[in-house]
Amino acid sequence: MRARAALLILAAALASPSALEAQTITQRGFADAGLFLFAQAAPNDPTREVADLLAREEIFVKPAGWLQFAAGLDVRANSHDQVDEGWRLDVSDRGERRPRLGLRRLAATITRGALTIDAGKQFIRWGKTDIVTPTDRFAPRDYLDVVDPEFLGVTGVRGVVQAKGNTFEAVWLPRFTPSRVPLLDQRWTAVPPAATAIPLFDGAAVLPDGSQAGVRWSRSGDRVEFSASFFDGFNHLPNVDVRPAPTPLGAGPALAVSRTYPSIRTYGADAALPTRIFTIKAEAAYFTSASADTDQYVLYVVQLERQTGEWVFVGGYAGEAVTARRSSLVFAPDRGLTRAIVARASYTIGPTKSVAFEGAVRQNGDGAYTRAEYSQARGQHWRATISGVAIGGRESDFLGQYHRNSHVKASLRYSF
Amino acid sequence: MSRGQAGTVTLGVALLIGSLHVRAADDARQIVEEAQKRTDAASQRYEGLLQVFDAKGKIADKRWTFERLGSHGRSKAVLRFTAPAEVKGVALLVVNHPDRASDQWMWTPAIERDRRIALQDRSTRFFGTDFSFEDLEERDVDQYDYTLVGDDAIDGAACWKIQSTPRQSKSSQYTRSIVWIRKDNYAFARIESYAKDDLMRRLNYADIRSVQGIWTARQLEMTDLKRASRTRLTLDKLEYNVPLKDEDFTLQAIRRQ
Repeated sequence: MRARAALLILAAALASPSALEAQTITQRGFADAGLFLFAQAAPNDPTREVADLLAREEIFVKPAGWLQFAAGLDVRANSHDQVDEGWRLDVSDRGERRPRLGLRRLAATITRGALTIDAGKQFIRWGKTDIVTPTDRFAPRDYLDVVDPEFLGVTGVRGVVQAKGNTFEAVWLPRFTPSRVPLLDQRWTAVPPAATAIPLFDGAAVLPDGSQAGVRWSRSGDRVEFSASFFDGFNHLPNVDVRPAPTPLGAGPALAVSRTYPSIRTYGADAALPTRIFTIKAEAAYFTSASADTDQYVLYVVQLERQTGEWVFVGGYAGEAVTARRSSLVFAPDRGLTRAIVARASYTIGPTKSVAFEGAVRQNGDGAYTRAEYSQARGQHWRATISGVAIGGRESDFLGQYHRNSHVKASLRYSF
Repeated sequence: MSRGQAGTVTLGVALLIGSLHVRAADDARQIVEEAQKRTDAASQRYEGLLQVFDAKGKIADKRWTFERLGSHGRSKAVLRFTAPAEVKGVALLVVNHPDRASDQWMWTPAIERDRRIALQDRSTRFFGTDFSFEDLEERDVDQYDYTLVGDDAIDGAACWKIQSTPRQSKSSQYTRSIVWIRKDNYAFARIESYAKDDLMRRLNYADIRSVQGIWTARQLEMTDLKRASRTRLTLDKLEYNVPLKDEDFTLQAIRRQ
């Protein structure tokens, strides 16, 4: 209902005579068809071919110089039951599966002098580093594909004041949006072969009711850029609880997997310092929690970045220091990519062609993944991309547990 | 001037000016100062068509909108791609300074993040074109030293041929540039930029017309001599002194579409 009301208000604002006079409308969108081919079956998921379709349309309307509305819609289909069946417009995008028809964004932006306010469903990104971004607390992701997650929009208000080289930012989210975790009966929930005889049931997620808030100050000087941030809210990645599930008499044992999202506070900082050879970027956040079953830890990243010729290189180290270990089971890809060397490189072959490489290796050698991608555009609208992902390692490692998920992906996108 | 000339090469700049009735000057600095003075405008806006020709002659088209507030070393510019569809919304904010290289940030809507373009990365090609990030700057005349090296003719127009060298050598990928400035209207006709003794890029100005009293090249062609590729920029809907606000040239502003 709230979404419908917002859409009506937006439509009314856009239809008013004064708005029609001056408004500028821009759009962008695409239809993307992808095919995943996995090298082997997983213990809990024999499917090795998955087809996926995504169509996205985003519209931006400026009725006046100080006001902008943004709206975006996703339509999805999937051959492997990763998309909801119904055609109901999903505004919050908090379900287990991706919505067939989802509201990607719906926000108003008001600008008055140095002040900018964004209200509605939007994307908020903090931090400077890549691959792992410890301070990026308002950016839940869709982990149905753990090694290629998409960002999910969040609903709230963001105010930014920019004064010369300083930027002050405050964010308030009245409603929590969790990251989407892998489906229990699919390969990105790694189940050891010995455990496949025990059925897993979704014990549901307990989503917190409270609001979240954060503030960030950024300074952009002649050379160095840095930020300090504070976040008070909930981790969008869950603690996982596995308990025996009640089963009918005579049936074998089963397990119920439930998720809780602990309250956390983070104290973060990031910086970028260009030197003659590289840009050095660093980012760290200290995660604390009043919850008795939630770890306290520091995530940090130091990376070097360089563009030269047609190459772009990013490489560094992501680390973790646990100050209080309390939880036994979490789904935490951000922590899973720490204690690791991470790197990314891309090369522009020509105006329409590029290749990219990305990889992470855990420092103990227990897990590693690498991705290679070739992409080529044709004309003004078409782009074909083929990528290969190789994952190896031990079952006990976050990356290594996905060693059966090496795959090739081919996709064709029409942008408009 | 970008790569060389006082605020010139800059795409915003590239739109050089002149007048049919100008007094000739022999001194190289005076010539460049006069050329810069004649391009002064409170603001500028145009729609650009970029055609990238690779060594085999294949063409990739891109389009952007360009807005600039201020002139030369005291200006800010936002360049936003409008085509092809897959790069719609990608934007570059350039904040020029009178005494040093510009600050540049790029906004990439696909990942909802901005990224500062470090000085050492400015020699990189800008989005697959033959312009580098540095070529998008607009530098002040005082950031260079000048030497008049002779007279020449470009497309039949008599030109002064001037060598410029950046005063802060580390601030530019180019060690020197040769600039051709037309004697009839002080418009830039060509710039050749060198790294040591190697000619790296050549920028030709064509279709020079008076727009609101400012002599402006409506077509610029940048050739990357190393790659044997070239990019032609055609300016459309060009206007000077349009009402633009300072608040539209910030990091927050380039996030808006």
